[in-house]
Amino acid sequence: MTIYEPSLILDGMSSSNGSAGRLSLYLILVLVISAFTLAILVLPYDTVYVQDRAYLDWFLAVMIVCFAVFVLGTVSNALVWMRGKGLVGTPESRLMRTVARALSVIFSRKIVRLTSVFLREALYITKLRELSMLRWFAHFMILGGFLLMFALDIFVTLSLDIFGWETMISEDGWAKLLVRDFAFEIAGLMMLVGLTMALTRKFVVRPKQHSTEGADAASLVFLFLIVVGGFVLEGMGMAGSISGHEGNELYSFVGYAFSLVMPGSAGDYYDQAWLVHAVMSALLIAFIPFSKLFHMLVTPVVIQLEMLLGQEGGAL
Amino acid sequence: MKRLDISRLDVSSLLRYDACVRCGECTITCPTGGEAQDVELVTPRGKILRLREFIRMQYGIKARLFGPKVIADNDLRELSERAYECTICGQCKAVCPVGLDTIAMWENMREFLVANGLGPLPAHEPLVKSIENYDNPWMQPRTQRSRWSKRLGKEVSVGDSVNEAHDVLYFVGCTAAYDPNIRAMAEKTARVLAHAAVDFGTLGNDEGCCGSTMMRTGLSESAKGLVLGNIEKFERASPSVIVTSCAGCYKTLKQDYPKYGKLPAPVVHIAELVGDLIDSGKVSPSARVDKTVSFHDPCHLGRHVGLYAAPRRILESIPGVRLVEMDRNRENARCCGAGGGVKTAFPKLADDISGMRVADAEQVGCEVLTTSCPFCYQSLKSAIASRRSGLEMVDLMELLWRSLQVPR
Repeated sequence: MTIYEPSLILDGMSSSNGSAGRLSLYLILVLVISAFTLAILVLPYDTVYVQDRAYLDWFLAVMIVCFAVFVLGTVSNALVWMRGKGLVGTPESRLMRTVARALSVIFSRKIVRLTSVFLREALYITKLRELSMLRWFAHFMILGGFLLMFALDIFVTLSLDIFGWETMISEDGWAKLLVRDFAFEIAGLMMLVGLTMALTRKFVVRPKQHSTEGADAASLVFLFLIVVGGFVLEGMGMAGSISGHEGNELYSFVGYAFSLVMPGSAGDYYDQAWLVHAVMSALLIAFIPFSKLFHMLVTPVVIQLEMLLGQEGGAL
Repeated sequence: MKRLDISRLDVSSLLRYDACVRCGECTITCPTGGEAQDVELVTPRGKILRLREFIRMQYGIKARLFGPKVIADNDLRELSERAYECTICGQCKAVCPVGLDTIAMWENMREFLVANGLGPLPAHEPLVKSIENYDNPWMQPRTQRSRWSKRLGKEVSVGDSVNEAHDVLYFVGCTAAYDPNIRAMAEKTARVLAHAAVDFGTLGNDEGCCGSTMMRTGLSESAKGLVLGNIEKFERASPSVIVTSCAGCYKTLKQDYPKYGKLPAPVVHIAELVGDLIDSGKVSPSARVDKTVSFHDPCHLGRHVGLYAAPRRILESIPGVRLVEMDRNRENARCCGAGGGVKTAFPKLADDISGMRVADAEQVGCEVLTTSCPFCYQSLKSAIASRRSGLEMVDLMELLWRSLQVPR
């Protein structure tokens, strides 16, 4: 089949098949957002550090909205892609078909090759390493820290709120100290180091090829503020002896350093600071589809796509 | 309000616009945007961000919620002009940390510009009309296409693949066939093939333009007729292999033709075929060519198709040749500035870039600059003349032929 096959260049006119595809897509979106809402509303949050439940409720409300914005923004971008060459029916029905096809590729024998390309080119980014070791290191720290924190978040939430794992809950449990304190500390520190390097390059070194686009800088600064905010919050918790932050100086060493310059009264504002930090994190998620951060989702997909197109030739 | 028609953009290209991480690595080595004039909008990142912005303005979430925004005609014209300043050399593809297939992106972007009435540029129109009317971009009659072979005299017989069966079909290409300054490329190619006793023929005056010019300027729909016409002639000739001496024709036949239809035989570049002939002992360069030689990798041969070793293999086989590499070689070779319709629409820009490439060659102290593409040959030769450089510009087959001639 050639790329000029007339049947592939039909206009995106609605058809009964298109309407069904459109309906199915929006139904799935409603289900995904509802499932997420349900999941975060039913969790008990018994071990959350914030003292006043009202602050937690505010965060949960914001988080639901932000998640919905993230999903809709991502799907909206994907629908733009679907308007490209070869559209038959509606972009929505094409997106559904594309997702189904992508899933069939993922769950095929190609998974080994796809995983290898993903690890080498999307996570390790071999080509960036060849271009600049320093930039590669900064990016690796940010991405590695982010992914580690994301994985830890899921693991800890399951351990605490679903399985009620005692050693993860107890103040002096080894899992609490090593995972909730130390591992999170390492993830945050990785991001802090990477972001500091990236910001220094952007605002101090300012290499010629660097883009000065405001939205790109905003993404980076916003992420940096969230990470620093996390350590500040931890410092406030330790300085104010908030439950869960006591006796973990060794494991939460960065937060401890911050606590040394804070008065004991900092703990009085812990809940407010927690809400600011949590809401900023939620806003960041909502911001992803509309910012440079969207490359986190698309670039790994395109890396796989380039590999597949390189093997088969042609374009989608 | 008329919205931009994005239905000519590949889905993969639309994805690539969002996958660009805006690192700017491409802006440093971009010959037109970065090196020759330092204009962000000409660079890959500049084009990506601008087109993505336009698409978002009319199809993004805000456009879905509040309606599409009008894009000023001047802004669209500016993007189009700048997009046509790109030589589609593919240097950006070589340096992109994500490995985006930018070559596919730029060619597709031009297709999109044409579909929206924004391309090609007025400067390209005579070229396009000439191809439509004469089957070549040089406004020369079809009957003159095989004139180059008169140089061969009676020493070499070029087969008629239209009426006879020949093992190899030599696709000469418009530039080597019509440009009197480059006819030596076709002539020497024929002499080398005859020297190796290869059974070859050409389509003579029936050969049509390969369609590369049309495709590179975004007129891929118009190129369809040319492509299908050539494929039909190839089928009738039914060779076992199709060989080209032009890097542009090679890339087009090898990479683009399969998108339109099936070719009856594999396509190889003359450097590959001659490399094999050298390996099999059918071509044995013997006369010394005591020169320091540098090879300029044509973009269509190198970054587009990945052919780097074959031309060097030939040069290494010539006695006396001392091959020196320019600092930027193979996948990092600097473009000559002529590709993508830039030489036609922006001659000054093309000259500036070819001047930089000649300076690269001068820097490594070579005496002979060689290549395997008629466009690179033309532009580098012209730059050598305008810089009053002491370099000699020689086509690869011409250089090889010097070593194949038996001293009288």
